[in-house]
Amino acid sequence: MRRSLTANRLSSTSGIAARLEKWGTALESTALVLLLGALMLLAVGQIVLRIFFSYGFIWADELVKLFVLWIALIASIAASRSNRHLRIDLLSHFVADKYARFPRIIVEAFAAIVCALLAWHSWRFVQLTIEFEDSILVDFPAWIAYSLLPLSFVLMSYRFALSCGSEVVRAVRPDEAAE
Amino acid sequence: MIFSIALIILAIFGAPLFTIIAASAMFGYQNEGIDLMAMAIEVLGIASMPMLSAIPLFTFAGYLLSESNAPHRLVRLTSAMLGWMPGGLALVALAACAFFTAFTGASGVTIIALGAILYPALKQDGYPDNFNLGLVTTSGSLGLLFAPSLPLILYGVVAEISIDDLFRAGVLPGILMLVLLSGYSLWINRHNRKPLGSFSWGEVGSALWEAKWELPLPVVVLGGIYSGYFAVSEAAAVTALYVFIVEVLILREIKIKELPGLMRESMLLVGGILIILGVSLASTNYMIDAGVPQQILAYITEYVSSQASFLFLLFIFLLILGAILDIFSAIVLVVPLILPIAAQYGVNDFHLGIVFLAAMQLGYLTPPVGLNLFIASYRFNRPIMNVYSATFPFLIILMISVLLIMYWPGLSLWLLSD
Repeated sequence: MRRSLTANRLSSTSGIAARLEKWGTALESTALVLLLGALMLLAVGQIVLRIFFSYGFIWADELVKLFVLWIALIASIAASRSNRHLRIDLLSHFVADKYARFPRIIVEAFAAIVCALLAWHSWRFVQLTIEFEDSILVDFPAWIAYSLLPLSFVLMSYRFALSCGSEVVRAVRPDEAAE
Repeated sequence: MIFSIALIILAIFGAPLFTIIAASAMFGYQNEGIDLMAMAIEVLGIASMPMLSAIPLFTFAGYLLSESNAPHRLVRLTSAMLGWMPGGLALVALAACAFFTAFTGASGVTIIALGAILYPALKQDGYPDNFNLGLVTTSGSLGLLFAPSLPLILYGVVAEISIDDLFRAGVLPGILMLVLLSGYSLWINRHNRKPLGSFSWGEVGSALWEAKWELPLPVVVLGGIYSGYFAVSEAAAVTALYVFIVEVLILREIKIKELPGLMRESMLLVGGILIILGVSLASTNYMIDAGVPQQILAYITEYVSSQASFLFLLFIFLLILGAILDIFSAIVLVVPLILPIAAQYGVNDFHLGIVFLAAMQLGYLTPPVGLNLFIASYRFNRPIMNVYSATFPFLIILMISVLLIMYWPGLSLWLLSD
């Protein structure tokens, strides 16, 4: 909780960053609402078709799974923003805040690097699917569906880098953080 | 080796688990000379797992239910039906929490939604404070073995076994836990056996009437799943849509305006679980290719020969695992590795699943990182050490029930069709 406050303060120093933050959150939430709604309707629609018309679209099942993938990715971007990824996190429960700061800087930097690597390699994979003209959902280009993968890892990496930066700022200027 | 130790330290320092798992998978791929693009392919594997849509849908439905007045109606209905018994309110708490946890996926919302109602009520009825704290904290994960809880679904997906059968396997062990905890609660309060009130058909009737919109839910969902009419993912879709229509459109206890925030909030947990699932697909594939299960098996067969001693070893392992890892990460990470080992010792897949989940349920209550302990400490504003000690007797009871479930496979397998 305290961490996200600092992140907010850090970004409020520049108006553009603050606006980006606001729009980013709104975009994530909108995407999640639409996807979850679509998932619900599509799945129920399939049941209705199955029971009353003994019918079903072949692509619907695949689309449901694709929605789940997208929800998973967008929700993990959102989880990075809200600092809600699952962690073991013994430190914050049992170590005083000021001693936990240095390890936290390392941990966030590590997470940023891992996500950057994941983004890079998934980007290479997406390029490959463009090259091979892979398709999903009968004849929809696969790369469009898959490009969310590198994008989300880039955003998560950015998020962790930001949170690493705000920890550094707090370490350098502790009096400001103590306000 | 150095790399693994560094990762463990980073994990203890609080790095997001999915980055730890991804790093270890990438390290393994790199060593084996596999192109790291494979990571992307594995994560996309989320889109080829069956039944997975049940997880976001049930989670959303659970959040909706917990934000509405459904918890109040549930407590009222359970009180009307069980409150006449001596020690009634404690039983009401256990039953209502178990039911609510099953339907909300054991994500910690039970303590917040029901604890807030039950904790003050128990106090008012003269139950000892530490007992109340322990009871409410424990009840937060009690329905874990009942359909359609998220850990059951996730276990079925990861272990690639029939989720319907897993649901059946969980029924009797779940009831065993309830019965033992109820017995303990009655024993502790044997001098305070004040019933909530006398039984009245009128009160049952009006409580039923008040809950009329939610009542079809368990019937449709459980009936649909157990009869095989609905697949789990279909039941989840129906539940989510139904709960949405009832709580938002008919009863209007959740405003449309609040809905996007609620959806986002519920999906945060889903994102956290599914991204770990995605990267774990990569790491377990690597570990299985590298023969890690066989190595562990070769190692433990030197010391452990019988199924009974293997199970005990597993119990100890799961206790430690549960104390440091949340149940979702533990399922995704560990289950693929222990499945082949347990099969060598002749442990039935479904029995193993129930044992695994029951033991991980203890993890919600074990220090240092038990989720329920922290939620309760935060919610009821009590020092964490106080919550530890208040929960301890309940933890012992649950441990006994896990051992019973472990050494009595029939209990889990009884209701399975074949």
